Amino acid sequence: MVVLEVRDLRARYSASGPEILKGISFRVEADDFFAIIGPSGAGKSTLIRCINRLVEPSGGEILFFDREVTTLRGRQLRLLRRDIGMIFQEFNLIDRMSVMDNVLSGRLGYTGNLRTLFRAFPRDDIQHALSLLDRVGLLEFVDKRADELSGGQRQRVGIARALMQTPKLLLLDEPTSALDPKISREVMALIKQMATELEVPCLCNIHDVQLAMEFCNKIIGLQDGNKMFDGPTGEMDQAKLNEIYAMEVL
Amino acid sequence: MNRAMTPQPGTPQRQWRRFKYPGSLISYGIWLSILVFFAYTVEYLEIPLDRLLGMFERMGSTLANRYYPPDIEYIMDADYLEYVLETIQMAYLGALFGLLASVPLGWFGSFNMSPSRRYVYPAARLITMGCRAVHEMIWAILFVTIIGFGMLPGVLALMFFCTGFAGKLFAEEIEAIDMGPVDAMRASGANLFQIMLFGVFPQVRVAFTGIAIYTWDVSFRAATVVGFFGAGGMGWYLKRNILQIETERVAAILLSIIFLVLISEAISAWARARVMKMK
Amino acid sequence: MSDILASPAPKPTVVDILRSRRQNRYAKGAFFGLLLIMVMWSVKVTVIEDTDWERIGSVAKVIEAANRFIGIDFSLFPSLLGPTIETLMIACLGTLLGVILCIPAAWFGALNITPYKPVTYPLSRLMMTLSRSIHEIVWALFFVAAVGLGPLAGVLALAVRSIGFIAKMSAEAIEDIDPGPVDAIRAAGGNDFQVVIYGVLPQVLPQVLSVIIFEWEINIRRSAILGMVGAGGLGLVFFRQMNTFNFHGVTSVIIAILLLIMLGEVFSYFIRKTVI
Repeated sequence: MVVLEVRDLRARYSASGPEILKGISFRVEADDFFAIIGPSGAGKSTLIRCINRLVEPSGGEILFFDREVTTLRGRQLRLLRRDIGMIFQEFNLIDRMSVMDNVLSGRLGYTGNLRTLFRAFPRDDIQHALSLLDRVGLLEFVDKRADELSGGQRQRVGIARALMQTPKLLLLDEPTSALDPKISREVMALIKQMATELEVPCLCNIHDVQLAMEFCNKIIGLQDGNKMFDGPTGEMDQAKLNEIYAMEVL
Repeated sequence: MNRAMTPQPGTPQRQWRRFKYPGSLISYGIWLSILVFFAYTVEYLEIPLDRLLGMFERMGSTLANRYYPPDIEYIMDADYLEYVLETIQMAYLGALFGLLASVPLGWFGSFNMSPSRRYVYPAARLITMGCRAVHEMIWAILFVTIIGFGMLPGVLALMFFCTGFAGKLFAEEIEAIDMGPVDAMRASGANLFQIMLFGVFPQVRVAFTGIAIYTWDVSFRAATVVGFFGAGGMGWYLKRNILQIETERVAAILLSIIFLVLISEAISAWARARVMKMK
Repeated sequence: MSDILASPAPKPTVVDILRSRRQNRYAKGAFFGLLLIMVMWSVKVTVIEDTDWERIGSVAKVIEAANRFIGIDFSLFPSLLGPTIETLMIACLGTLLGVILCIPAAWFGALNITPYKPVTYPLSRLMMTLSRSIHEIVWALFFVAAVGLGPLAGVLALAVRSIGFIAKMSAEAIEDIDPGPVDAIRAAGGNDFQVVIYGVLPQVLPQVLSVIIFEWEINIRRSAILGMVGAGGLGLVFFRQMNTFNFHGVTSVIIAILLLIMLGEVFSYFIRKTVI
């Protein structure tokens, strides 16, 4: 079934600025691990961030489980966001807080203000957090401060945090760009494993084409805001890659 | 003489002068007008430059004769010490309530995290600037006029002053944060309050503590003097003795003020060093 | 090394975590509770017991008293121009004198260029602390006693008060410089004075100017009230209006002060843009 449908999505950062996304359309299905590839500045990050409205689209439609989301505001927008988890390139953890608190913070969309003030998350949440931390292999780090962890460890906390939301879609914004190649592979493998186990589709903005081809089943290639390729990984070949990356100056 | 030092034939001669036209003319002109301005200032304020040196001599002799020895017994008196305790309490209550008020003001007055950039942000900034622009003594006098003498106007005056002081610093601190964690909180569906608690406050906590200590410092310094205008504390003794021209007592009171402020500064410098280490 | 021999840490359970979080919360709660009690006691002792609640009357009377200030005495404005200019000039001259006094203060106060560390450094630090710790009103009272009433006392008070901040910030800037240019000038044979002019000054000038402008703005604010203790400017007008119970006049003076401060901010904004 179709989890996410994007129709003619357009985005620009200021009213008079250039159009970053020039009409992108595609579909994400329930068992997809979707990759968005393309040269720097093609609009990959913008596209990902339009899905959960961290960036405001300037035109087009986004349908999440057949619900139009570009017009949501306030509480409705928050309810949408808690169903969509996000993993960031720079991890975006709360440095001074413990790993446990960081993972629990993924649950904020489900927690009331008073509980937030006293950080009194319910027992079930703590149980869930512990099992996620165990699954990503960080159980001994529960009480360590987030800034005491290595890059790979921090991203695993980020994975746990995103999954705490019990999301229906995972957005990955260059999750491995800040990690070295060996760790990158481990992290991608972990994400893919957990996404498959929990049956969560993923939409991944990725810079490393090799990783994309290895872990993702479908690919979209962006170039300068336009969609140049949309299809299963098997159909991607060197010629098409050259086309997508034609304008990239190395 | 080697070849490098003789000019090659055919290269054009370039001249360099220190005085450039019109650039140098303009900058010398500006310096001159600044000098003229200050000379005019001295003239306008009727400052007797010729008598200045003589004044310092007289100042020295006045200090030696009339202000020395300071009447230490006077300030060791239990009544005075009670006033000193009052001053300390006024200072920290004023700082505390001022800080409590300036946390939301700083939040609303921060461009990146304000709930509404069009209305709430300018309003918060305006309130903070207003509190800051009015000198703490003016606040003290205003409150004394409205409420009467005593410590309540003093605490209120210090509170308003500290709100302005800390509010601006808090807002600037919040504007300097890394927005990454804030994005992460937004992306998970948290509301603005939750984003502030998890995304902003952990980042600014250390800086806020430093600002709080600094605020206490300025509050105490002001608290020692607000009594001069009737708002409670040691300053009242100061005024009384000045009016009665009890110069030795005035000297003693001034010494006690300096002494206490220095202690307070030492404590807050120590506290701030501790806080910096917590980073 | 010893980790290989130690047994693996026991895995945390939900119960453990819940308990530790609850304990944490209780500890924090107890701390803040204690703080609250201390504050409430302070409030009781100072504000509640000390205030003459009968004289204040009701909230309505307080509002009435506050209302007396609402309203502007426009007739006062023409006569405010002189004192306003005076206030501005006292601030300017005071800042200038302060800067001049800061030259030796910052020189002595910077660890890398202070001439005789055991003596000059602590001396300058003491000067800076003293200057900062004594409220400008106290300084003004002192100078009024020393040189008499009038703007001179205000100028001196502001000058001495400013040393603390300007010298401290300048000394810190000097301590932070890149020693490279200093070494270069020295290597070329420059004496101490030349090293300072060519090696130190160009590096710290932007920061020092920024600090001077910042302190100048604050001095405008201070200068406005020094007149209340006899040091000239708008403060004196404020005092007189208060004494004659012309509350609308008081509001006029406050507005004049606010306008002057705003002017100062605008001016400093432009100076910062062009010079720094």
